[in-house]
Amino acid sequence: MTDTAAPISQPKAPAGWLGRLEGSAWWIVLGLAGLLLPLLEDSYIGVIAQRAYIYWVLSAGLNLVVGYAGQIAIGWVSMLTLGAYTTAALAAGRVGPEWHPFLALAAGGVMGAVAGVVVGLPALRLRTFYFAMTTLGFSTIVTQVALAWKDVTGGGVGTPGPVFPWPFDPGWGFYYFCFFLAALATWMTANIGASRYGRALVAIRDAEVAAEASGVSKARLLILVFMLAGALGGVAGGLFASLQSYITPDAFTFEMSVLFFIAILIGGRGSILGPALATIILTALPEFAAPLVQWSTFLYATLLLVIVLVIPGGIADLLDFRNRRPLEKHREIVTRPELLARVLDRHSEKNTLSMTGIELHFGGVRAIDGLDLEVRSGEVHGLIGPNGSGKTTALNVLSGYYKPHAGEARLNGAVLPFLEAHTRADRRIARTFQTPRIVGGASVLDNVMIGGTIFGQATFSETLLSLPRHRRDEAHLREAALLALATVGLEQLAAVRADRLQHSELRFMEIARALMLRPAFLMLDEPAAGLSAEEIRRLGALIVAISRSGTGVLLIEHHADLIFDICDRVTVLNLGKKLAAGTPAEIRSHREVVSAYLGA
Amino acid sequence: MFQSIVSYGLAVGAVYALIGITYNVMYSASRVFSFTAGMLGMLGGVLGALFIHKWGMNAVLGFVLVLGCGALMGLVTEILTVRPVLKSIEQHLYVLSTLAFALMIQQVTAIEWGTEAQPFPVLIPIETGTVSAWLDQKFLLPLLACAVTIAGLEYLYRRTLIGRAFLAIAEDSYAARALGLPETRLRLASYAIAGIIGTLAGFTGAQMLLAYFGNQAILSFYGFVPVALGGMGSNRGAVIGGLALGLFQQAANFLVGGIFAAVAVFAVFIVVLLIRPEGLAGAATARRV
Amino acid sequence: MSLRRRQVLAGSAATATALAAAGSFPAPAIAQSDPIKIGYLPALTGPSSSTGVGINRGTQLAVEEINKAGGIKGRKLELISRDTQSDPTKAVNAVAELTQRAKASIIWGPLNSGEALAATPLIARDKVPMLHPCWVDELIDVKKYPMAFRMAPTNTQVGKGANHYVVNVLKLKKVAVISDTTGYGTASVNTYVPMLKAMGAEVVYSNHVDAANPDLKPELLRMQNAGAQTIMPWSVNAGFLSRILNTRGAMNWDVPVVGQTTLGSGQTKALLDKPENWNKVYSNNFRNCCYVGGKLPERAAAFVERLKKEKIEFSDTLLWWVALGWDGAQMIADTFKAAGTKAEDVVAHMNKVKSWPGIYGTVTWTPQEHNGFPDQEVVMCEVNSLRDGAFNLAPGYSS
Repeated sequence: MTDTAAPISQPKAPAGWLGRLEGSAWWIVLGLAGLLLPLLEDSYIGVIAQRAYIYWVLSAGLNLVVGYAGQIAIGWVSMLTLGAYTTAALAAGRVGPEWHPFLALAAGGVMGAVAGVVVGLPALRLRTFYFAMTTLGFSTIVTQVALAWKDVTGGGVGTPGPVFPWPFDPGWGFYYFCFFLAALATWMTANIGASRYGRALVAIRDAEVAAEASGVSKARLLILVFMLAGALGGVAGGLFASLQSYITPDAFTFEMSVLFFIAILIGGRGSILGPALATIILTALPEFAAPLVQWSTFLYATLLLVIVLVIPGGIADLLDFRNRRPLEKHREIVTRPELLARVLDRHSEKNTLSMTGIELHFGGVRAIDGLDLEVRSGEVHGLIGPNGSGKTTALNVLSGYYKPHAGEARLNGAVLPFLEAHTRADRRIARTFQTPRIVGGASVLDNVMIGGTIFGQATFSETLLSLPRHRRDEAHLREAALLALATVGLEQLAAVRADRLQHSELRFMEIARALMLRPAFLMLDEPAAGLSAEEIRRLGALIVAISRSGTGVLLIEHHADLIFDICDRVTVLNLGKKLAAGTPAEIRSHREVVSAYLGA
Repeated sequence: MFQSIVSYGLAVGAVYALIGITYNVMYSASRVFSFTAGMLGMLGGVLGALFIHKWGMNAVLGFVLVLGCGALMGLVTEILTVRPVLKSIEQHLYVLSTLAFALMIQQVTAIEWGTEAQPFPVLIPIETGTVSAWLDQKFLLPLLACAVTIAGLEYLYRRTLIGRAFLAIAEDSYAARALGLPETRLRLASYAIAGIIGTLAGFTGAQMLLAYFGNQAILSFYGFVPVALGGMGSNRGAVIGGLALGLFQQAANFLVGGIFAAVAVFAVFIVVLLIRPEGLAGAATARRV
Repeated sequence: MSLRRRQVLAGSAATATALAAAGSFPAPAIAQSDPIKIGYLPALTGPSSSTGVGINRGTQLAVEEINKAGGIKGRKLELISRDTQSDPTKAVNAVAELTQRAKASIIWGPLNSGEALAATPLIARDKVPMLHPCWVDELIDVKKYPMAFRMAPTNTQVGKGANHYVVNVLKLKKVAVISDTTGYGTASVNTYVPMLKAMGAEVVYSNHVDAANPDLKPELLRMQNAGAQTIMPWSVNAGFLSRILNTRGAMNWDVPVVGQTTLGSGQTKALLDKPENWNKVYSNNFRNCCYVGGKLPERAAAFVERLKKEKIEFSDTLLWWVALGWDGAQMIADTFKAAGTKAEDVVAHMNKVKSWPGIYGTVTWTPQEHNGFPDQEVVMCEVNSLRDGAFNLAPGYSS
């Protein structure tokens, strides 16, 4: 036991809640500057700062949608419009009795949340560009309705914004109110961003299939995030109405929407500090560069193009000094299979994962043509065959990405539904991908933690407020991920951005991510591709150790040596059909296999 | 009344259809939806008015020059905003790069050309009022352009070798590359063709829509609706969708009027997409993994 | 006299220096040679900026003239101008800069409704006097904004002028009212339709139409079928207005069009299919800036002479825009001359302005009424008579 309890070196990580916000020093500077700004006694700067805070309240939420989840919501200004009109109309008593301004502001937030979901729904089914168009269309419609619905919105003449009572009355009182809400929005979205929800969002953006394989339900998660982003947009709208003192539909321009959107991308996707800085800069810039005002949209657009083409990481990347330090050149992956006892559950029961009579064709091509396959606990089952023989397709059917035209898959006799890839994780079926599906901009540790998503207990709102259950979740996930990384020999690289790793290291990282699921079945799609001979040997030992701890392994591989060394049983595919099945020894002597595939 | 709905509806619909085809031609070549489609339509009108009306150029020469500028814009779009982000197409960075480029051009137009709608010259010097309203060039030119474009594309795709190469790229760019087709050059050519079609739409529709920088946003959205309805990549779908949209919009304008026409179009767009995300005539989704 | 004043100035400067040198607070800024700051919020770029550009010419010219003539009791006028680009958010930022940082003595502008509506309560909160060129009725409210005054007519007055012309001069009873979907357009229709009804006219059609809509024929056909005898369009969008005129022309429908001033703008003219489409079109204008019998009223005629001498372009602007800009600056200068720059004094003076002879309008304010433009000076003009930025008074007025 002493061996398996060997200490795992902890990569240095910033501690405390501020540490979760990258670059805590920046936040302290920003916070102090915000608190002390009134000492300047310059209300003009005060107004600009209030505007920046208000825009940031909206952008903080939008950041989760655009920066984290990668959904191209161009027309989010509609949330600002809705929140502003709801707050203003209720506070002014245009609908029923006059509401207290704070209640009206809350109502603006609720309205934003509802609208966020309404706009977000199409994103669940539509492709990116379609969604962009939908948000654009929605913002046009909201403005049109604001113009037409005169009784509530005042139509073109508009309606006065709410005035908040002491201590948040116009001037520095309202300034601190905006500052406080901006800080709150930052804190809450940072909690989400650094949680399993945030990691899952980024995974949806950069590696959607891997997110699904890890049990992330895209629909449920996105709805929650759209709700939050809508609510923050609505609250920002209420504040905006108060700052403007009077709102008319022409205050909510498409340029403003572009500003929010571009600020996030300039700031950097998946960051919170970057977009916050960018929002402040883009809000203030036209004030101090008056001759540029006319050209400001042009400049923003140019910046966006440059960012996309040259520094896709945005400001956040420029500030990320830690990841510019060179990595050690000659790294060696030293796996530690002995840790598996702590990584995996001990499966004493015998499970079987099977598919029978599977047929699937793409157009006229029969990718799989009546395939039966069975994987059992504690076994390594090899799946081999020439290119295009349907190996990966079979794996994709089993893990729920494709719906076959005939046949079924079962786990311990229970039918597995197709086209619901995210439900496989709950059944403890994990997998890796032929081309590693990773989040390049996130750390190796974060990438691996994605694999443990289903073990999180804390609800979205608990996470939002960083309640104890959320903090427990994080500690557990972190510990498990470090252990998994130590098992595959990557713990030294835990804090490094995943896109800086070598290809072979990514393969092991994917295995660590899959191990996070404590899988009953593990499906590996060509894990040895691109590995050195020594690495292949270590990989083989690791796979064997995984299977001996009770996990059933389905292994797709081209390296015949590896297959014959470690597999308990082998299935050979050709043209979507089973050519042969049996022990490695039987396959090795199978005449057709030898002639068709092994080429010996 | 009926005549007005039909003639204007079809004419506007033809412009939408052409913008839809512009989206499609770029999409087929690169799997990229580009925000520049509406921009090309806007430029067709503005450049036409600039060359012919402001600079007093001959109408034919101006027309050719406008299409030339369109082709050039197409090439720039491909080189500047599409090619660099094609490697990581699943990240959808093209949405951002093409949006950025379209916004830049729009802003330059707004500043240099002005934010007011400006007149577009009458191209064929016939006294209006001497012919039946059905034969007004305002309506006929977009329809003619649409018909010529469709016929031209059909000929190109079905009858010429290079057109078949375009189709091969659209079907499976990986396999096409393996066959040794010059994918990059074909893509460039597709973007140039898209540029020509987009400016053609704007040019022929400008007697109706005027030379106005704001047309970019309108055409971006209303030109995309036929693509969404007809299924991406399908030019016939775009034409049917575009004409239907034009008629629907005019009928809604007439029957319910004003603001509600815009709301009605948007509602139809959303409902169709939620029920059939692949479009009314579209095929099932492709492989993901 | 001048000697004594110089001594006083020198004395105060010396005291100030002494105080500053003693390390106490800097001198209070009452040094009497400081320029008087006028906060100015024009929309010079962005959509619908042509009016702003026109007004700006007048304002700049007036300030230049006043300063050349020695300023206000030796103090120069300083225009601190911030281009608002017709964007309400930029206007709010600019107000904070002008009232709080620059400590402007008065604010002139903004012009567009969205900006003016947002700016007015903020300027009132900062207790700075304000002079409006904008027409939106809601801007003037002596209880809420006791320091705000208007040099121009209200939208109600403008609508009343057009309605009066239709109902009482042209004697037409069946009216079609149409606007675009902008704030200005919808607000106008909503205000003017009840007014028309109250005057005994029958509004047979009223609608808001998206200005981008390329085809207005269904709308005009509906007006025609409803038996409309005149069209009253309310929009500042030249494209929209020209489509109405072109469609009317194509339909050979010979009803008068009576409405917004943009009907007579150069942009609208440029978009017409044929020049005849501009016949029988009457747009709002102001009596002091219209030709009667081929001649401008005396004050305006003299003003135009002066402008020509200064080589101010008239090809792309209108006389009344420039006149309004000039009047605004002149009113501010006259007030400072008479009452100084303290806010209460400025307001007290303005409250008593009576029949101030502007080039654009004859202004009268009372403590109860800060809308200074007289009803009878809102008239209609014939748009096809445009010459040197001014128009003929429409037929039917008794001069």
